[in-house]
This record gives sequence, structure tokens and C-alpha cells, in this order.
Amino acid sequence: MIDLKLDHVSKKYNIPASSNSPKRWYKRGFARRSSEMWALRDISFEVKEGGALGIVGHNGAGKTTLLKLLSSITAPTRGQITIRGRLAALVEVSSGFHPELTGRENIFLHGAMLGMRRAEITRKMSSIVEFSGVGQYIEVPVKRYSSGMYVRLGFSIAAHLDPDILLLDEVLAVGDVAFQARCLDRIGELRKAGRTIVFVSHDLAAVYHLCDRAILLARGQILSDGTPRAVIDQYQRMAFAGQGTSLDQLDPQKLAECTSISFSSPESSDSVRTGYPMIARLGYRAAQSIPGAVFRISLYWPSGYLCAQFTNEASGPRLSLEPGTGTIQFQCPVLPVVPGLYRIDLSIESNGCEIDLRQRCASLCVDSGRPAQGDFYIENQWTVVRS
Amino acid sequence: MTSENAAAPVVAPPGDAGAENLSWTPAGDQSKATARPIKVIGPPAFSLRTVFTGIRTLIQYSDLLYTLSVFRLHVRYKQSFLGWAWAVVQPLALMGIYTFIFSHVTTVATGGAPYPIFVFSALLPWIFFSSSITNSIQGLVTYPNLLTKMYFPREIIPLSYLAAGLADFLIASLILAGLMVHYGVALTWNVLYAIPIFLLIAGFASAIALFFSAVHVRFRDVGLAMPFVMQIWVFAAPVVYSVQSVPVRLRRIYLLDPVAGLIENFRRAVIYGTAPDPAALAISAAMAIVSLALAYAYFKSSEGAMADLV
Repeated sequence: MIDLKLDHVSKKYNIPASSNSPKRWYKRGFARRSSEMWALRDISFEVKEGGALGIVGHNGAGKTTLLKLLSSITAPTRGQITIRGRLAALVEVSSGFHPELTGRENIFLHGAMLGMRRAEITRKMSSIVEFSGVGQYIEVPVKRYSSGMYVRLGFSIAAHLDPDILLLDEVLAVGDVAFQARCLDRIGELRKAGRTIVFVSHDLAAVYHLCDRAILLARGQILSDGTPRAVIDQYQRMAFAGQGTSLDQLDPQKLAECTSISFSSPESSDSVRTGYPMIARLGYRAAQSIPGAVFRISLYWPSGYLCAQFTNEASGPRLSLEPGTGTIQFQCPVLPVVPGLYRIDLSIESNGCEIDLRQRCASLCVDSGRPAQGDFYIENQWTVVRS
Repeated sequence: MTSENAAAPVVAPPGDAGAENLSWTPAGDQSKATARPIKVIGPPAFSLRTVFTGIRTLIQYSDLLYTLSVFRLHVRYKQSFLGWAWAVVQPLALMGIYTFIFSHVTTVATGGAPYPIFVFSALLPWIFFSSSITNSIQGLVTYPNLLTKMYFPREIIPLSYLAAGLADFLIASLILAGLMVHYGVALTWNVLYAIPIFLLIAGFASAIALFFSAVHVRFRDVGLAMPFVMQIWVFAAPVVYSVQSVPVRLRRIYLLDPVAGLIENFRRAVIYGTAPDPAALAISAAMAIVSLALAYAYFKSSEGAMADLV
């Protein structure tokens, strides 16, 4: 069954010439002209029951407009949207709060705005209060709440919704780490219960984990539609095209440079998994012979922090490069990093001098392999020692 | 349209392994599977069919209308010393000043009724009418976040102000009852006509509130004009004087304002025990229904653009 169907949907915004001066009366036709902006153009897609669709794209690509159309907050200019089932949208979890009302009163108000019946809210009240962790402050007007309590209460109400289709927009961007984990946990549970999810996020790792399909939006149009992995890959290539140093740009002046990078595992040519061997092949071009070349492959978290760096600097053999092109193979017997998406930096050094640095030139997608809780998979052995 | 069903790894995030026992009902839940509503969203268009679909959605959200109306009153009188007494301060103060003007400075024919009762019985429906319209028109633009971040039928916001006005009306009605006992005005069964007459006033008020609150989102001139339109309108309606005082040759034009006729009939039913003319009442009812349907359809057709304009 199709839960969500968009049929050639477009959305136009008129940006009025903002002027309130009386001059606009006699300047008509000239100064009062408003400009048009197509936030979405000819969008068509379907989401099946139980599917989880991720929507990625730059700021201003039309992601939020798309969610607003799906949730009926604003109407399409052209095209048609068909929705099957009860839909709940979490565009901003606590926007329905009234500052003068207490936490409890706001639960009723906000819950009703999300489409819950009073009886349902009354039944779930104690569970909502408990989940939010607001505790005794539930009888205090929410204008006295900290921003964290505000958000927690908002999400707690949302977490008790039971929709057929759930729309999420950057809900995870607010709150602390524990809260984000809890959000992801709830969404994961919803997925398992067979609900349909549309998820808009800049958190690519979350899209990768939660969704079974993704769409890349750019300037209001669908650029690609496919597996999260393929789409995220394309998005990252696009996103870092300006900032990073592409491997395609070659500079004959350099002594040596990286020309390609690929990751594989012994059993598969294009995927690597946590806890299993990984092979990296790094293509290079050298202008002259370099006796003691040092290679570095750096893995960055999506947040920009360095996760791990593989190098032959201290432990590895000294690699001597001959003029011309070649390939360096790097092997890692057990890949310790957890599933996710990593940005890759490559560099070549010689005698402490940097010859080539390619920042964010590629990405590595790690699939789940051996179970790993926490940040790393660490190989370990357990034995019973009898005394 | 392709959708590869890649084996999606639903990986539990690290830490916090489901401490709360919050369960989702499985998707195969029967009550869900059978009654899944289908909703089709297209470009907004003015159509009377939206009246029916709109009312159906409104019924689903009836709990929100109730909750919002209650909180409207609650918030309005919160942190105020007099609290609910404010609901009667305004009509009583107006009654006082009009009584002073129209029985001491000058006089108007009241058909034998004491002037305080005469004016108060018309002020009640009038204050309901004017203040619920002026309040509800501001409603949509007061909390723009609600419009841009959440969806619910937008008419609930203006309607909640009308419901709050209704509560004020009921409280002030108790004062009217007290005044009638004090002045020894006898009640007859015909007072029950006040109920349908009031419903018609509420119908017109809703129509005006829905239409102009939709317009107000685009042109804020409406909100600026409305208070003084109401100040003029109060003297164009038989509130401080009776229709009998209007010259006969002007009366036809005068009674083109349906609210004028309804307010006069409300007063007659309450303090004189006169039954209204059924034909006039039927015409008012027809006008109220038609204008409400048109206003609602207009509101629904502009609902889709409200979040973009507010």
C-alpha cells in the first residue's frame, strides 16, 4: 500500500516588495511588483507503508517546504498530495506551548493540536510526565521552564502520538546527547512497529541508520532518489565540492599526489563492515622518485572530529614511490569504527614535508558487522579461568 | 519510481536502552487497518464542498476547540485580581454610562421598561457580537508560530474566541437575571426565543469572524478598522434605543442590517416576552446559514496560504 504520494507538486512563494510607504500607491506597477520564488518544482514520489524516507539537501533546497506541504501547514501551488492514514508532523516540538499555562495544561493543549483526543491524553498523562523528566514542575507555568525542559516536554508529548505516518524535521538537532539518543530510540521503535516515516535531517548518519530510502533535493528539485547510501554519497560529494579538494583536480607541479581512493573488504568489492577486514587502495601519481613517502588516511565523524587515522609513518614500511602512477594498498585486519559515514582526508608526506593534502576528498560508508556498542569495536577474548 | 529495499539496519543508538516502557501498538492493529482516512491535498480553490470536508475535520479536532476555548478564558483572567468578574465589568460599566446619558441627559422611549434593563438586555448580545469578532480577528496573527509550525484546522482559533465570548455572555446573563428580579420584570415562556435568536447572532458573528480573520492575515487593515467599525455599528443597531425610535420611512433600510433586527428581537423576547415574527426569523436564519457557508468556504480556500503570509 502507498501511504504517501506526491504527484507533480510545486510550491511558489511570492516575496512582496516590502514597502509600507504611501508612495506605493502612485508607484503601482513599478515598485509594488513582487518577486516569485519556486521553493519546489515538479516533485513526484511515493512512500510505501512501513517505509522510511530520508530527505537530504542544502539549506534552502526545499526540505522544510516539502514537510510543510505534507503536513498541510501550507498548500501546494500545483500538483496533488495523497495521504493514507493519520499523519503527525514534528516540525518544532514545543511551538504549540502557551507560556502562561502550566506543563500539564500545555500537554492538553499541545496534544490536542497534534490531533490527540482528551481521553487519550488523560490516559497517557502520567507516562508523558514521567518520560519528560519534568517531574514536580508539571504544575508550574512553562514560561518558568529552562529551554531543555521545554524541549523535553514537547518531545515527550510527541513520543506518545501513535500516527500511521510520522514527519520529522530536525527534531534531533535540539537537546543534549542523551536526549538525541532517546529520540532516535523512539523513532527506531516506530520503524519496527511498521509505521511510515519521512525524516528531514542534516544528520546524515541518522538518515543512513533510520531510512531505507533517501531523496536528495537541490534548488527545489529531486536530484536523486535511491538507497540512503548512494544518495548521501552523492550529497556529500556535492556538499563538499566547493570546500574539499577533489581527487580529479590534478596539479602537474606537485612532486606527488593522490589520484583515487577506494575501500573494500575481502568478501565484497564496495562495502566494509565493522569488525571485519578492510582494504584501502590509494592511487597516486609521482613526478619523481620519493624514497620515504608517508601516507595518511584520516577518518572524520560527520561532526568534523577526527575519528581515526591510518598511517605508515611509524609502524609501516617505508614506501618508495617511483615516477609515474601506482597504487598503494593498505590493510586493516579488523575495522574498529562503528557503522556510519565518515569523511576522508588523504595526504602524502616526505621527510616531514607535506607534498599533497586532499581534504574531505571522499567518504567511507561503514555497514554494520560485528555488534559494537559505544564508539568502537574492540576485538576481545573471553575465557573462564579456573582457580 | 523505484525504492530499493536495502536491508535497513535499525541500529539502536548507544546507551539508554529503552528505560521507559512505552509501547507502540503494532501496525497490524485492527482499528487502524480498517479506518485509515485518505486525504488529498491540492492547490487551494474556493468551493462549497470544502464546507463539508472542513466540518468533518473540525469534528475530529473538536477536543482542540474545547481545550483552546477553556484556555482562552483561563489565560485571559490569569494574573488578574478581579478574575472572572471582568466578564461582567464591561457590560455593567456600559450600562451605567448609557443609563446616565439616556435617562438623565436625554431620554429614549423604552416601551415602559426601566432603562438599565432595556439597555443591558441588548448590550449582552451586542458585546458578545462585537468583542468576539474583534478578538477572533487578531487571533490568527497573534501566535504566528502556531500557523507556521503546526497543522490543525485554522478556524479553531477564531472559533475559540467566539466560544470564550459565549462563556462571558452566559456569566453576564446571570447579572441580567438578577436585574430583572430587582426591577420586577416578569419572565414568560417566550424568553426561550432568545436562544434561537442568540444562535443566529452567533452565526453572523462566526461568518464575519471567519471571513475577516482570513482577510486580516493578508491585510492588517482589517484589525485596525474593526474596533472603530464596531463603535459606529453599536449606534447603527438598536442597542441604546429601540427600533420604535427610528423614523418609519428609514426603518426598511435600517432593518437591512440583520444584526439590528436580531438584537431588537432578543430584547423583546427577554424583557417584554414578545415572540418574534417567524417569517423575519426564518429570513435571518437563511441569511445566517448562507453567509456562514460562504465565509467558511472562503476561509478554507485561504487556509493554505496563511502560513506563508502571517
